Order: sequence, then structure tokens, then C-alpha cells
Amino acid sequence: MTAVDRTGAPARGAPLRIAVAPRWRRAIGPLVKYALLSLGALLMILPFADMFIGALRSPADVFASPPRYWPQDPQWGVYARVFRELPMTTWFANSIIVTVTITAAQVATSTMAGYALAKYEFGGRAAIFRLVVGAQMFPFFLFIIPIFFILRFAPLMGGNDIAGQGGSGLLGTYAALCLPFVVTWYGVFLMRQFFVSIPDDLLEAARLDGAGEYRIFRSIMLPLVKPAIATLTLFSFVYHWNEFIWTMTVTRAAPELQTLPVGIYLLQGAFEDLDQKALQQAALAVSILPVIVVFLCLQRLFVASEFSSGVK
Amino acid sequence: MPNPARPLVAIGTALIALPALAQDGPLTVAMHYTQDQAAPLIACLDAYDADGVTASYQQISYGDYLQTVLTGRLAGQSPDIYNVYSIWAAQMVDNGVLAEPPEALAQFVRDGYGAATVDAATIDGTLWGVPSEVSVYMLVSNMALLREAGIETPPTTWDGLREAAAAVTARNDQGRIETAGFAFAESSSGAGVVHPFYALVFSQGGDVYSDDYTEAMLDTPEAQEALSRMAGLVEDDITDLSIDAYDFPAGGIGMMIMANWYESAIRDGFGDRFDEDVAVSQIPMGDDWRTLQYAFFMGVDSQSDRQEEAWVLVRHLNAPRDGGLSCMGEMLDGLGALTANAADLAAQEAPDAFTRPFVEALENDRAIGQPNVMQAAEIEGMMARTFETVIAGDAEPGPALQDLDTEVEDILFEFY
Amino acid sequence: MPRREFDPGGGGAAPWVFLAPLIAFAAVFFVIPLGFSIWLSFTRWNPLGTPSWVGLRQFEYLFTRDGDFWRSILNTFVFAFGFVALGVPLSLGLAFVFSRARGKTLWRSVYYLPQLTNIVAIAYLWQFVLDDRYGAINRLLGMVGLAGPNWLSDPAMAMVSVVLVMIWYDAGKNMLVFSAALEGVDREIYDAAALDGASPLRTLTSVTLPIIRPAFIFVTITSFITGMGFFALILAMTGGGPRGATEVTALYTYQMAFESLRMGRASAGALILFAIIGVLSILQFRALRGRE
Repeated sequence: MTAVDRTGAPARGAPLRIAVAPRWRRAIGPLVKYALLSLGALLMILPFADMFIGALRSPADVFASPPRYWPQDPQWGVYARVFRELPMTTWFANSIIVTVTITAAQVATSTMAGYALAKYEFGGRAAIFRLVVGAQMFPFFLFIIPIFFILRFAPLMGGNDIAGQGGSGLLGTYAALCLPFVVTWYGVFLMRQFFVSIPDDLLEAARLDGAGEYRIFRSIMLPLVKPAIATLTLFSFVYHWNEFIWTMTVTRAAPELQTLPVGIYLLQGAFEDLDQKALQQAALAVSILPVIVVFLCLQRLFVASEFSSGVK
Repeated sequence: MPNPARPLVAIGTALIALPALAQDGPLTVAMHYTQDQAAPLIACLDAYDADGVTASYQQISYGDYLQTVLTGRLAGQSPDIYNVYSIWAAQMVDNGVLAEPPEALAQFVRDGYGAATVDAATIDGTLWGVPSEVSVYMLVSNMALLREAGIETPPTTWDGLREAAAAVTARNDQGRIETAGFAFAESSSGAGVVHPFYALVFSQGGDVYSDDYTEAMLDTPEAQEALSRMAGLVEDDITDLSIDAYDFPAGGIGMMIMANWYESAIRDGFGDRFDEDVAVSQIPMGDDWRTLQYAFFMGVDSQSDRQEEAWVLVRHLNAPRDGGLSCMGEMLDGLGALTANAADLAAQEAPDAFTRPFVEALENDRAIGQPNVMQAAEIEGMMARTFETVIAGDAEPGPALQDLDTEVEDILFEFY
Repeated sequence: MPRREFDPGGGGAAPWVFLAPLIAFAAVFFVIPLGFSIWLSFTRWNPLGTPSWVGLRQFEYLFTRDGDFWRSILNTFVFAFGFVALGVPLSLGLAFVFSRARGKTLWRSVYYLPQLTNIVAIAYLWQFVLDDRYGAINRLLGMVGLAGPNWLSDPAMAMVSVVLVMIWYDAGKNMLVFSAALEGVDREIYDAAALDGASPLRTLTSVTLPIIRPAFIFVTITSFITGMGFFALILAMTGGGPRGATEVTALYTYQMAFESLRMGRASAGALILFAIIGVLSILQFRALRGRE
């Protein structure tokens, strides 16, 4: 898991042939190939299709004996019910606030740190880079308990005294949802790799022109790594829109801070009756849709290089 | 040149400055009922305004309630008012979550509630709140299915139950149960197997703990027989653990041992056929049958800075309105749930055919209260796991109960 | 004018300003938590009270008395191993067909769909699909006369189900990593191999696989680490049930902490799991690298 040379992003497009095959195999090969891909694709889509169908079932469908799979009288109104009967707008707003904040923070911290690690020499650089690479290996479950209490006992926050006692600290604020994610080791690593590939001459020329260090970073360097920023944005957005365990842990008892996945999960008690299942499935559909839309819009950014990052 | 870290600092400050809970927001009442079930109560809360103190409703899923209360407390996100299942109470009291009610309210409870429910809200001699919902387990039958199988009245003995269930159970071509004669009311908390077990043990004259809670009585012949009866239903292919209790309203289950609060869900499923097709009858354990009752009570958070106002609201929600039902009473009535509030009982219309047997079980002292032992929720989780293992045929009742008994006594030993 | 050499050390305080957020974060959300976690593992602490030092007692309890803990370790291995052993070859196979197919944008979108979906939705979607009696899969199996298994209520099948769903969730991502590696291979190498008369199998083993080995190592190790520590899916899908059959260690320690409020023991459990993951990852890395 060493560095990747960003400039050597592999070309994609032309289909590969692994070897010259006999004629009959050349005819059957594509058939098998597309059959396999289609079968896989069908499996990929099946649960989503099942969800959309399920969302349309009426109580009459689920209370039939045996229950009907295909809705007899599709209940399109269920999507309006989702917004009327569930705190969907709160969840939605929280998802957006948290995801946008974290994504913005991660892009800022990753570009800054990545740039410093790539373009400056200073004592301790190697150590910090090792930390960035090494910290990625630490699984998140290790941090849940300690970070929970670090936020809980944050001095002078949320009614706490200087020793962190007396109040509830940062728990119960948006900060508890965002702060543990403002830096992403992976993002710093990714940006550092990108900045390394930018020639030093540019920096040098700018310095000669008398540009200050911060101005060079903002006006010259940042525009050059736009593709990397876009990639990081997309990854951060998807990851944090979908983040579940941490948000659930700190907002379990604070409905006004819950995001879409967390809200739907914690309201499971409301969906136990059979005639509530359709509402649950519709809510799930609504929780998934925004990410899919963002992905389809930005899909072109998903070039091969992202998936090979850290590989070679 | 501006420092690029500045926007970050700004974001950070903004996030911290946004307090999640305004100090003078409405009093929050956290219960496990869905918005739908709690609608009458929510209407009361929405209308509530006592000198500027307002109230709002928060739903916490039943399976997560205790966990949410405890972690919420760590995070300073406690609601002001809880609806506590009695088996959670000991742990909540032990962790200092609950506040003691003022004397006037304690008197209100002692004057106006049945003794068993007052006990359910009492830990070590201290009363911790106002009893709310009472639940009793009985045999609930889908008579349409039973009649189809030639059975006109619900069984009153375990053998009768087995025969009736076997007659109703129908399998599809692949051997999967399509209509189940009997089903365990499976749920995440495991109550669906644990509560019927209590009912069977009580019916045989047994008990689950010794009176002083120093000993578990899960290795007794009564316990073994109860579990063997339950496991026998699966062993003899009468039912299996894959049947979801929520299929009862859909008409896919003949009988289940279930609590009264399930009435509204069953009504939703049966519609017009409810009165005709749904019957409630005794626990099928012969003439000496007993059953389990359990209770909830409304308590106040000990860290709430508006405890006084919260107790006023609790009383408001449980006091009769112009001779009619209290707010809680109205909600429970709609659910088909029972109350121990004497004023509500007096104001209620005569119970319907579904509810009457549950009420009678309470009145005739057939329903035995669930013990408020420490760590009861954890213990019941262990029971559920053991029972399900035995019912699934993966363990023998005798040795499994022996192990369970030891484990439970390990826990009791910490506290008694 | 002579060209001055670029001076990478010429930034003055700038690099430290750029790194300030990272350093602050590393201190507060990395170093302190790890230290806190280690300290906690030597205490008994119900966080509604005060912690008390118990030395190695929590470790002792977990190692010697807590059968459920060992069972959860075993479940963790089954889950991670199943995920790697089935998932990695599957995504490699998919990558082979995908990298040689037309319409990549479409296939990619479809196979990447699960990665975009929140884990709660994934868990619930599959709960519906795998419902014993009325789920889509068992209905389909029923149509061809097969009695489907009890996917979620049978303990052994429940583990199979969560592994399969985890593979379903991750297959698209790993497929793209592999196909990126495959497409990085120069076509000339294949042409050369073909000219030399190498059989397809030989080309595969001698040319293709060595070239994608780094990707293979990367995917295998990251999948293993993910599999060992991932519990969100299991929490939402089975809650660790039925009867503890899918209770993995990360979930077990999470519940120990936030349901039973045993922070000390939960920290100890998490550290043990982390140590196991760390040691095995290094061994794995050595083994996979060593054959080169």
C-alpha cells in the first residue's frame, strides 16, 4: 500500500482481450460475459425494486392471506405520507447540514495538510506522513467509546466547567456529529499524492513573483487539483450522508439532531405493524435517492484512478 | 493574507454555538407508543400550556427504550418525563435516573390506583411515578381459522391447544407453514417467548424467583415443564420460529398468547370481521390457569431542571377531565390497553368483548405481576435466548435451564 | 540571472499553519482517544458513576469467563473470512468480465449502487427480500417448487445471509479496483504472450495475476480489516441474532458499552479485537508479499 503515481492513471476504454481464442469460444464468450454481468446486475437491483414495489402496497395487500406481492391498487400517496407522518424534513435538513459541513471541512483540511506534506520540507514531515498512512489502519470501532466521552467532558462546553464536569459537553450539538470527522486520513493521503505530482517549478515561479505562501496555495495550487477535490467531495458526501453508527450513538435520544438513516433506524418501533411496512420502504427510498442523484450527476468524475488509489 | 484555517474556525464556532436543546423548550414526554397510537395523548400535549410551559411528544422504540434513556442521559439529552416498563425501573433507579414524586402526587397514586400496579411502580419501598398502562397475557384466537378446522371454542388445556393448533396449521407445497395454528409473538426484546413462559410457570403454581430475589427458580420442574410444552409445539411440527406475530392481523395465525395492547393492530387487520372472528380466552392450562401482568408508569427525570412542572404535567395527563377519561386513559382505551386508574375505569364504557377477559383476569387475581428484579431487562434477554434455543431444538430444556439458572443467580448475587 | 534552486524549506511557518487542523485533530481525536481507551480498559466504569481501577481484571474476565466474547470472536472470523474468501474472487471475476464489456458506465452505475446506499436501508431492504415466508427470494424459490431456507431466523443461515449481503454491498467497489488494475496492463503484453503461443490459462497465471497482485493484496487486506470491524450492517439487519448467531465482537463491545454501560470491559474487548486484527493484517501482508 505505497504511493501511487498520479500522472500514470491508467487509460480506460478499449475492451481488453486476454488471449486469442478459438472461433466457437469467441462467439460464446460475449454471450457468457453479458449473461453473467446481467445476472449480477439483476441481483444488484433486486432489493431496490423490491423496495419500490413494497412501498406501493396497500393495507389490503398486506392483510390478504397470503399477502400479495404485487400491489393491487398502488398507493402512490405513500411518498406524501412519508413527509406528513415522519419527521422527514428534520432528518433531511440534518443530513444536509452534517454532510455539507463535514465534506467542506474535509476538503479544506485535506488540501491544506496534503499540500504541506507534499510541497514543504520541515522537521517532522516524515513522522506526520507516517501518522497519516498509519492512522488509516485503525478501525473506527476503537474510537467510539473514547470520543463519545471526550465530547462529553469537553471543558467549558455545554455547561461543563473547566474540568469538564457538570454539563453534557458537546454531545447534543451538531459539533458532536461533525468534529470527529473534520479530518480524514485517507483524504489527506489522496491530496498529498496529487500535490506531489505538481511540478515544483510552479511554486518556485510564484515565489519569485513575490506571491505569499497562502496566496500560492489558494490561487495557484488549489485550481490545479480540482479533479482530486471533486473526487474527495464525492467520497465524503456519500460516506457521510450514509454514516450511521456514530450519528446514531450521539443522537439516540436527540431526535432534533438525527439524520435520515439514523431517524429511520431508531423509529423501527413505528414500522412493526404490517400496514406500516410500506411507509418504511418509502422512507428508505427517500433516504437513498439524493445520493444516487448526486452520483449520477458527478459520475464522470469517477475515473479509474480513484479506485486504484493506494494500490500500486 | 487571511489564514486559510479561519473558515474552519468559523464553522466550528457556529456548530458549537447551536445548542440542541433550548432550556425553555417544551417539556418532553418520551414513550414507546407510535405517533399513531399516541394520537389522543399528543393532542393533549399540543394543547397543554400551563403558564407558558408547553409539552411535546417523543417516540422511542420499545426495544431500544432503556438503552436510549441511559445513553441519552450521558449526553444530557434526557426527556423530562418517561413511561417506564416496570422491569426497566430497578436499573433506572439504581442509576439515579428517576426523581421521587412529591408527596401529594404519591397520595394521588395510592388513592386512585390498583395495588398491583402501585407495586409495579415501587422499588425497595419507594414509589417512583404514576402507573399508566397495564398489560395482561391471554390466548387470542382467530376463530375463523379455528372454525374452518372444526373447532368451535378456543382450547382451555394445553393438549387442547396442541390439537387445535395442529388442526389449523397448513403447509404449502414446499412444506413451509402457510397458516400457523399457533405462533410465538417474536420480538426483538424476546417478550414473545418469555412472557408466555411466565404464564405457564405461574399456571403450574411455580415462580421465577424466590421471594427475596436471592434465588432464581428456573431449574424447577415447573419451569422445565413450561419450556418443554412450548418447545413441543415446534418439535411436533405444529409451529416454528419463523412465524412473525405480525401475521396475526393478516389472518395467518390461529392462536397466540398475547397481550391486550395488540387489539388496535388486530382491528386494523380484521376490519369488520373483528367482533366475529377474534376471541380472547384463558391461558390454556386448565382450571388453575394464571397469567402474567406487567405495567408501565410515568416517571420524571432526576436531572430535569423543571421537575415540579413535569410532575404537574404527569398529574394533568392522568387526572379525569370533566368526569371523562384522562388523556392517558383515552389513549390506552383506543389501543385496547388497560389502565389501573380507578377514575378512568369508572369513566370508561363497559369493556368490549376483546378486552373483558383481560380485565376479568386482573379482577380475579389470575394475573400475577412481573417481578421488579434488578437487571430484569438483561435477565429477560438471557431467558429469551435460552428459550429460543430450546424451542428451536438446539438444546434440551433440562440442561439449558440449569445453565440459565446459574447465570441468572450470578447476576442476582451482585445485588441481593 | 542564475536560476535559483527551488527551496522546499522556504515556506517559513506556512506548512505548520496548513497542518494545524490535522495536528489538533490527531491529538484530540486520535492520540487522546487511544490513550483514554487503553486506560479505560483497566477500569470498571458505569459512566453514570465514577471509574474504578481494576487492573487486568476486565481482560481476565473476557479471556477466562466470558463465553459470549469468544463466541463473538469466532463469529467475527466466520464473517470476515466468508466475506474475503467469497467476496474477493467474486469481484475479481466480475472485474474480468466488466473490463472487457461494452457499456461500462451503465454496468458501473448498477454495480456501484449498493455503495451509495446507507447501511440501514441495505439491512432493511434485505430483511424484506429475505423474509422467510413472504420475501421476494423465497417466493421466487417457491415458484420453482423449492422451500427456501429461513434466511434470517435460522442461526446458521443468518450468518450466511449477512455475509452474502456484505459481499453484495462491497462487490461493486472491489470490482472497480480490480478492473482499474486490469486496465492498467498494457495490451502489448498480452499480444506478446499470444505471439509466444501462451495458452489463455497460462496467460492468466503468468501475466495477468502477477500484474494485479498489488490490487489483490490491497483488496484482500482492506476487506479483511473491514470485515473484522464492521458491525453496522449486522446491527441493523439481525441485531446480532438470532440467539447470538451473528453477534460479532465489534457489535458485542458496542452493546456492552451503550446497552450495559460497561465501558471498561467494552474498551478491553475492543482493544483485544484491534490487536487480533493488527497481528493478522501484518501476517497476511507478509504472506501475500512474500511470494513475490
